[in-house]
Amino acid sequence: MQRVGFRLRSSLAFRVILSTVLLSLSVVWLTGSALNNQLSKGVKQVNLDSAIIEARSTIFNAQYRLALAQGEAEPIIRSVISDVITSATSLGTAENTRLIAFIKTPGQEVSKYDYEVKSEFLEVNSIPENLKVQVRKSSEIKWTYSNFAYPGNSSTPIIILGDKVKVPNAGQYEMYLFISLANQEATLELIRSSLLLTGFALLLLIGLITWLVVRQVVRPVREAARIATEFTSGDFHQRMDVHSRDEISILGNAFNEMAESLQKQIARLENLSRVQQRFVSDVSHELRTPLTTLRMASEIIHSARESFDPNVSRSAELLVAQLDRFERLLEDLLEVSRFDAEVAVLEGVDFDIVTLAKRCIEDLALVASENSTSMVLSVSNESIMLNADIRRVERILRNLLTNAIDHADGKPIEVTIAHTEHDVAVGVRDNGIGIEPHLLSRVFDRFWRADPSRARVRGGTGLGLSIALEDARLHNGELEAWGRPRYGAHFVLTLPRREGSSIEARLITLKPTT
Amino acid sequence: MTLVMVVDDDQDLAEMLSIVLNGAGIDVDLVGRGDEVLELFRNNPPDLVLLDVMLPGIDGIEVCKLIRAESMVPIIMLTAKGDTHDVVLGLEAGADDYMVKPFRHPSELIARIKTRLRRTNSDIAGLLAISDLSIDVQAHHVLRGNKVISLTRLEFDLLVALAKEPGRVFTRDALLSEVWGYRHSTDTRLVNVHVQRLRSKIEHDPENPEIVVTVRGVGYKAGALVHS
Repeated sequence: MQRVGFRLRSSLAFRVILSTVLLSLSVVWLTGSALNNQLSKGVKQVNLDSAIIEARSTIFNAQYRLALAQGEAEPIIRSVISDVITSATSLGTAENTRLIAFIKTPGQEVSKYDYEVKSEFLEVNSIPENLKVQVRKSSEIKWTYSNFAYPGNSSTPIIILGDKVKVPNAGQYEMYLFISLANQEATLELIRSSLLLTGFALLLLIGLITWLVVRQVVRPVREAARIATEFTSGDFHQRMDVHSRDEISILGNAFNEMAESLQKQIARLENLSRVQQRFVSDVSHELRTPLTTLRMASEIIHSARESFDPNVSRSAELLVAQLDRFERLLEDLLEVSRFDAEVAVLEGVDFDIVTLAKRCIEDLALVASENSTSMVLSVSNESIMLNADIRRVERILRNLLTNAIDHADGKPIEVTIAHTEHDVAVGVRDNGIGIEPHLLSRVFDRFWRADPSRARVRGGTGLGLSIALEDARLHNGELEAWGRPRYGAHFVLTLPRREGSSIEARLITLKPTT
Repeated sequence: MTLVMVVDDDQDLAEMLSIVLNGAGIDVDLVGRGDEVLELFRNNPPDLVLLDVMLPGIDGIEVCKLIRAESMVPIIMLTAKGDTHDVVLGLEAGADDYMVKPFRHPSELIARIKTRLRRTNSDIAGLLAISDLSIDVQAHHVLRGNKVISLTRLEFDLLVALAKEPGRVFTRDALLSEVWGYRHSTDTRLVNVHVQRLRSKIEHDPENPEIVVTVRGVGYKAGALVHS
């Protein structure tokens, strides 16, 4: 039942065939039974008519011969009766046996002679009482249907016909003919079974035809679905075959046009991405060459600044510092545009994140102390290996640390590393100025500043956290932020330890408990 | 006096480079086109080549292959791209080292050049043996039997570094500091590519190396000595 329900919902062909067959069944049933009624009525009428004719001739014959025997002696009359009955019963065939009962109408004065005769096996009480009543009242042949058990046979439908017969010197008698309808029943049975068979065959044919027709419609639809699925999964060269000019081919043409336009669109986008990528690399080259020259020139000027006038000397320092900043900005912009063009790739290597974190902290220790803060590392293990793009992970850590140093407000920064078999997490917590919770979602926005009036201590590019988030996501990892004004902020990076897998759990609670 | 050939199509950068190099006491030959390199190289062989990747005429990778085909001179590629692809191509073409523009400090460039020009391991006297090779450190020769195997200076340094402490497993970082003079670098591709190049010259079957053996997950070590 469940299977049928499933197929009903999943297969158009099944649904159409089933409903067609069910509808046809009711039509065939109705017409079949009407036909059956009509035919059996006809057959019964024919049989009845012939039974009446036969009975009439038999009874008329008896009446006629008995009338001729008027005034004859008793033995003559007896032989006439016997003769009539014999000839009547011998008329029937073996299957269509006639039985005759010749009985005296009751309620008359007792006669000298009794001529009552009946065929073998026949009991007088087999004649229905109401038929007898009708016969006695009427002057013509009366009949009724009944059943009769022939010896050696089960009950067989019969027709019983009767009329009155005058017997000379013996008053009124009644003659009843029992005519078997076994043949009629056989005929009716044949008609019924033929109709049933025809109906069944018809249903089967209708089912088959429907299946063929539905297949013609459904096959192209299924084909279309298959092609659409393959198209979706990236095979943009899939097209539907269009041969004819029917509705299906309209669908096919429409689909093909859509596919064509999608393919063009995708090609255009791919081309755009290529152009973008190309542009990025061109910008990179074109900008870096003059920047290299600038860099070296400024270094030479900078190294000779002692001999300059104080203003020129300070200018040389500013020049070098701003070139630094310019270069960082260029790097960050290029990285961002690589993310946007989706051409950033991971170069996974095995490395120890604890060592990496220690190195980053060491490198930034001077900057931290310049901002009168410090970094404290606590780790769950002395060495935690993972497979990831070390350059990107280092960049994430540096970005988180410099961000924390920028906002630490002179209070210490806590760095925690936790790990499981599957993941590793790094938390960077500062206790500085913090951030309004409703602004948290914006800290990863490009060039966003929590407080525009506040100068950047490190001259950061404003892209650091945004790039860190992209780097984390590229590893299927996550970078999350928490913050409260005056309570500081907490950034937690979670990465899978194997490249390509995704993170299972958060190992460091984002919201600090203290 | 040391001579460095600077191949760069950007005239300002080239001039700046020569100012910096001259300041460090190095003579400079400037070439602006890739297809002009070889002629000058043959006429006036430099001690080191500073080679930009993007060049008119022939690109830097091709130039690198051409030079390598006839000389073991140290080559440092200048690449404007942080692009991995370019770096690996350059190293595979025979460059010993690379620098990504813009460099942090001119002194960094000078340091790299000096590292490449330095006579390494000059303190080791006599012969070193590794597998079936013998290495004459002073003469800068590698011999298999009587046959001299020609190596670039970097490849020679790499081989000597491994051979002078047979059995010690060198991490890639250790090799980077020993051979390239990097304090800490994360770019282990330098090591990988040059180990491949070295193997292709000295191994009997570079697919199954027996002289420079990979220690999985750690680094490399020198293979066992073979007495012939």
